[in-house]
Amino acid sequence: MSTYANGMAPLQDDSDIEEEALVADYKEQVQYEDGLDDEVASMSMAQQPDDIQSRLAQAAQPLDFNAPLEAKFQSYDAYCSLFHFILNSEGPVDLEPPSYYWAWDVIDEFIYQFNSFSSYRARIARQGQTPDEAQMLRENPNTWGCYSVLNVLYSLIQKSQIIEQLGAQKRNEDPAAVAGDYGNKSLYKMLGYFSIIGLLRVHCLLGDFSLALKTMDDIELTKKAQFARVMAAHFTTYYYVGFSYMMMRRYGDAIRMFSHILVYVSRTKNFQKSAQYDSITKKNEQMYALIAICVAFHHTRLDDTIHTALREKYGDQLLKLQRGGPESLPIFEELFRQACPKFISPVPPNFDDPESNVDPIEHHLAIFMDEVKTNMWSPTVKSYLKLYTTMDLKKLAGFLDVKPDELRSWLLVNKQRTKQLRWSDRTLLEGDLVNVSDLDYAMQGDLIHISEAKVGRKLVDWYLRNLSRTYN
Amino acid sequence: MNGEDPQERPEIIRNIINGLERYNPEAAGTLETYLQQQCEEKFCDSNANRALLKLYQLNPDRIKDEVITNILVKAMTQFPSPQFDLAMHLLSPSHSNPGPNSSSELAEAVSKLRALNAQLEGAQYDRFWATLESDDLYADLTTDIAGFEDMIRVRIAQLISHAYREISVSVLENWLGLDGEAKVKAFVTETCGWKVGEDGVVQIPRNPENEAKKSEVREDVTIDMFSRVIKRSWEEIA
Repeated sequence: MSTYANGMAPLQDDSDIEEEALVADYKEQVQYEDGLDDEVASMSMAQQPDDIQSRLAQAAQPLDFNAPLEAKFQSYDAYCSLFHFILNSEGPVDLEPPSYYWAWDVIDEFIYQFNSFSSYRARIARQGQTPDEAQMLRENPNTWGCYSVLNVLYSLIQKSQIIEQLGAQKRNEDPAAVAGDYGNKSLYKMLGYFSIIGLLRVHCLLGDFSLALKTMDDIELTKKAQFARVMAAHFTTYYYVGFSYMMMRRYGDAIRMFSHILVYVSRTKNFQKSAQYDSITKKNEQMYALIAICVAFHHTRLDDTIHTALREKYGDQLLKLQRGGPESLPIFEELFRQACPKFISPVPPNFDDPESNVDPIEHHLAIFMDEVKTNMWSPTVKSYLKLYTTMDLKKLAGFLDVKPDELRSWLLVNKQRTKQLRWSDRTLLEGDLVNVSDLDYAMQGDLIHISEAKVGRKLVDWYLRNLSRTYN
Repeated sequence: MNGEDPQERPEIIRNIINGLERYNPEAAGTLETYLQQQCEEKFCDSNANRALLKLYQLNPDRIKDEVITNILVKAMTQFPSPQFDLAMHLLSPSHSNPGPNSSSELAEAVSKLRALNAQLEGAQYDRFWATLESDDLYADLTTDIAGFEDMIRVRIAQLISHAYREISVSVLENWLGLDGEAKVKAFVTETCGWKVGEDGVVQIPRNPENEAKKSEVREDVTIDMFSRVIKRSWEEIA
């Protein structure tokens, strides 16, 4: 409850009411940001670079995508000096954040610029066509350096004692008691909190998916979580958590993450501003692509809204993914490339040997595809086994036109992959090993015994949904 | 996940990987010694090993080739699991994709190990043993890992027991990488505790995995699920 310490009445523990509240919050946020834009514009017009409030506002402003290299360097320096001021002044600085969403915007923009700078630097090195820029980048290897970005995020987390505060909250104690001088100020508390989500993102961009999830140990993914009140934060968190789950082969958990946020977005889309909605739309599409990949690995019943939208957007691709075999491989690659984060390398590229610089996206894709290839015959195996209760292995190998040895491997792979770690109310990384398939089998020599779990119809959900419709 | 957080992990390592010390380049030495301990004492701490790879990722000047390959081989012994892939994701792209001009030994070793791992993940155990034999480089790469072949063999046997009730000695011979029926029979009876029938068929004891029991998943309906509806209808009347 104390997440709502900002003057909001405690909510009833009722999922729908919570969601309504979030929606209402979001409406307010959209209107508020309209006002903020004007404010910022007038500030930069007043030309008061020394005014700390305008620096705070500036830090939350997006840098133009096409900004020249000099502007990127300047922006880095501006962040460094701002964070230095916030972190290393004597005692906590006495500032109120310009808005409730400011802290998220700052951390988001800080990481976005780090990400795009690293990608840009790598591209310059790979193309080797702009010697001036390459020279400038070579001479400044520490600008937007990975260690400094991590340092800022970890320092904000430590100064704000946010981990201790979240721990107290979880135990239903007063977080203010453990927040310390810094953490009791909303500027530090907010920056610390969103730095945790920033870390989730940075670790994911560097390919450290388990550390990314570990970072979230102290944040509970519920609608009551603080990040849920800032739409972009809510969205980003679920995207990166879902993606990390997917890379750890926890497809069921990944689908749960993506579905949750996509359903939420579909509820709020009616009053999203068009510019903001554009960026959300892109991530939205990406998450549908990722759901398609996950569903191909792990067949499951999706929420009706998600299922319909998925069929609309990726119907053909999904069909090919689910059919498996070598024809599915290019589709996996296409969707992965389209939907993955813009991976980066934490160290400067080799400017002297352009060809030695491999795009990190290709690196992560290649490793992911190893697992895809290992599993690509599972759909075939399953589709046949479903038809029988017992089957001779050599006969089935004949149907499939493969050697018995090959089929033995396919059967083992498919069986081994039906065990998956699934989250159960503890930290994101923990989970129980569960059987995720309704098809099971065991071999007695060359005789395959097959059993299929019969899933009874689930009626409660259907009944409740229709009942609530009659009320409205 | 297999080999993620082993009980053997000492306090000092726990402090490194759970705190900011994991970013201190000096911690690499401690983690390297710990890796050596894992190799000698036949356990695996993939979580700690990833912290070491992360330090290498951030400080490429510290990289020791044989440490990277040892970590990959240790991760491989955890098959089937994402451990090997998770370690691969932390390598620099240039270590896993030998460029046209590079003749990096590390890149070659990594791509060899990746091929080997793919065979274990793909349950192509006969090919795994053949690949291992095919090149002396594999012997070099696995030499630091005590009991590498035995660990793989035991793991394969365990996975077989999850899928098979009976299996012929000849299939086992290929999958376990053992020469001759006598060795296979000795291994399955002594190490696995399985029985060999007179017909040369190996009997594997029943376990929850190789039962393939029929089951029915039914929906559990509780009164709590309807609490909202009931509350609402009551409120509307009142």
